[in-house]
Amino acid sequence: MSSRPVDATRRPARPSSLKRNLWITGAAALLLWAALNVGVDVTDLTTLPSGLYAVFYEMYLKSGPDLGYLDKAVPAMIESLQMAWVGTIIGAVLSLPLGFLGAKNVSSGLVSSVMRQILNAIRAFPELILAVAIFIPIAGLGPVAGTLAIGLHSAGTLGKLTAEAIEGIDEGPMEAARAAGARGMQIQRWGVLPQVLPEMLGFWLYRFEINIRAGAVLGVVGAGGIGFLLDQTLKFHRYPQAGTVILVVIVATIIVDTISGRVRRRIIEGSDSTQVPEVDLQAVSTTAD
Amino acid sequence: MTTAVPASRRPTKPRRSPLIYVGIAAFIIITLISVSERWGIGLDIGGIIADLGRGEGILRQMLNPNWEFLPRVIEFSSQPPFVTGPLVETFQMAVVAAFIGCAIALPISFLSSRTTVPNRATLAVSRGILSVVRAIPDILYALIFVAALGIGPLPGILALIFFNIGVVAKLLSETVDAVDTGPIEAVDAGGSSRTQMVRWAVLPQVLPNYVAFSLYAFELNVRASTVLGIVGAGGIGFLLRTQYAFRAWSNVSVIIICLFVVVFLIELVSIRLRRRLV
Amino acid sequence: MIIFDKASVTYPGGVHALKDLTLEIPDGEMLVTVGLSGAGKSTLIRAINGLVPLTGGDVIVNGVSVRGASSKQLRELRSHIGMIFQTFNLVKRTSVLNNVLMGRLHSTSTWRSMLGWYRPDDVEIAMQALERVDIIEKAYVRAANLSGGQQQRVGIARALAQEPNILLADEPVASLDPPTSHVVMRDLQRINRELGITTIVNLHFLDLAKVYGERIVGLRAGELVYDGTGAQADENVFRDIYGRSLTADDLMGAPEPAPATVSA
Repeated sequence: MSSRPVDATRRPARPSSLKRNLWITGAAALLLWAALNVGVDVTDLTTLPSGLYAVFYEMYLKSGPDLGYLDKAVPAMIESLQMAWVGTIIGAVLSLPLGFLGAKNVSSGLVSSVMRQILNAIRAFPELILAVAIFIPIAGLGPVAGTLAIGLHSAGTLGKLTAEAIEGIDEGPMEAARAAGARGMQIQRWGVLPQVLPEMLGFWLYRFEINIRAGAVLGVVGAGGIGFLLDQTLKFHRYPQAGTVILVVIVATIIVDTISGRVRRRIIEGSDSTQVPEVDLQAVSTTAD
Repeated sequence: MTTAVPASRRPTKPRRSPLIYVGIAAFIIITLISVSERWGIGLDIGGIIADLGRGEGILRQMLNPNWEFLPRVIEFSSQPPFVTGPLVETFQMAVVAAFIGCAIALPISFLSSRTTVPNRATLAVSRGILSVVRAIPDILYALIFVAALGIGPLPGILALIFFNIGVVAKLLSETVDAVDTGPIEAVDAGGSSRTQMVRWAVLPQVLPNYVAFSLYAFELNVRASTVLGIVGAGGIGFLLRTQYAFRAWSNVSVIIICLFVVVFLIELVSIRLRRRLV
Repeated sequence: MIIFDKASVTYPGGVHALKDLTLEIPDGEMLVTVGLSGAGKSTLIRAINGLVPLTGGDVIVNGVSVRGASSKQLRELRSHIGMIFQTFNLVKRTSVLNNVLMGRLHSTSTWRSMLGWYRPDDVEIAMQALERVDIIEKAYVRAANLSGGQQQRVGIARALAQEPNILLADEPVASLDPPTSHVVMRDLQRINRELGITTIVNLHFLDLAKVYGERIVGLRAGELVYDGTGAQADENVFRDIYGRSLTADDLMGAPEPAPATVSA
């Protein structure tokens, strides 16, 4: 340590954290308001462990889950998977034109803005609400209503993701196609599509994984799948059967998630050999589900 | 083109891997089965189009919302809490669950990431648990908690907390996986403990992502909590279900419009905030 | 024949990219344009195939007025004009052959082009184009796996596949190293001489311009300030065109390598 005196007046001032503190205070105020007014009696939480244990006990410990119920649960889960499968396909097919129309660099500014708002409107409604409000009245109770609800909601999300992917491409090949005298659809097919296809396949698979959960649950309102059994067994306190149903849902979901995850990774590796799959903050920051 | 080189140097077209054809065949078969009447869902496009007429009466009612129903959805007052109603309950559930769920997700994501947990066995266990947590749909959580606690917003909040943890922990752990190991090396070289390493070398790098993911989870919460009420777990879902059961379509449409407005506003704010973070 | 008749381009921001340009380019000529960045070289080239719309005057290409052309006529015109780009503009994820086939899109029906079922004649044309630039053995290789020079040659092949009578090259060698730049410029020269295709090249490096430009046109601030042969263009001429003294950045530097020792 040298003995030269340190000139303390040259030290920069500490930057103000006023803005950050305001945000934190605001968030805390919001939390306080919400927590105090949501109508929850915190003492109820004390019954939670015993309540949960009671349910768990009835389902799995008292006499084990009712494995005979599998012959009802498994076909119902398969129906849920099929709803998710077909629903995702419907959503993916619809999302192609919607995505292209919604991309600023491919369709005009006005058209793409309108389309994005339409997509936002569709996305705002969870599948359950779409099923309840639109598709059950039209198609009646059953898996078709659920499938269509999944299809429409997925079209909204996939359409938005597709539009964003298209907006992120290198426009060079598009210019080259235009310079060679190609027509509109040819420019999309050869200048745009090859660049976004692997990304899109990734979205579609991810959406399928999410749709499995929707498919499992839509039955609660009668739109097909294993949800109906779920609702009925719990409502009538038939816990061993409910235990079986829950197991079936968990196992099937994990299996599909794993397979889909593997396929997604193969696709990413196939298209871009030096890419390591990374979570893209941009992708999350401007999308929602 | 008059001066062409002899065609002998041209390469042969590479054969497509047969795996692709197998994949496409499997895809088509699965789809056909899933759509069929006997083995699948029984999708009949013609029938649906014919049925569209059935919805006409309902649609006409829905296009005529009954605004007198609005106070049952949301009510404003000059006294705290200033705004009440099932719609507000939905929002409050989402807020509480987001804070708690995202707070818990933070340590869990560190426990599930390769970067912060070198022990393979521990990692496998925590990732396994996370998979199970994510595999359960939010409504299933709601059903279980309603069975354990009875009807009300509490089961809904708990369900959303688990849902949040699933979403945020997975996203965040993937981010932590991809983090720059340079600062970690530096902290280790200074002889710090594991927790210090996480706090000072990893956390600062992923903090913006964490906040962005939390906002995203909050948006998802708002949407999810609208439906949890359908199974009795609080919020506007229950009102929706009753009006639906009474076939009071004009009321249903009021609820839906309000829902849409809330989701839209929240998304607007959330996207703007998230953009500032990137 | 390409005729610029008092052609003007003013961009929405107010920038006058081209001012009353009048120029005649006879068939079969190899023309090099030089000028500072922003002088109007890119705009001049893109005015020929209408990628940049004119705000004044006209450009008449092979008897067709570019300004008055409908979109259908414009596409027809473009199908006879090949263009190569500084950044190559290849579709990186697909094969070289698919990239070259994009040159045949105009004459391929929509449904065929959606599925990629090009006619055998078109495939033959694409193959011959690849042979002409000596890169045929890479036909099925992914475009991303080629070097810069190779990618540009694929770009040239794509333009040739159109069987054009005009070739536009916008700074084709700016992203390439000196030996490769010479290979590409020599390919363009060879194509111009053997096939008689009118070739217009924007060049950034003045020494390259002098070597390869039969005729050199200099632009400054959107105006034509020089029109002469490569032989006549010396340091003073270039200084006039640029409006400032030359720096090392204006010259590529590497001398033309001996033939047959360079492969890109």
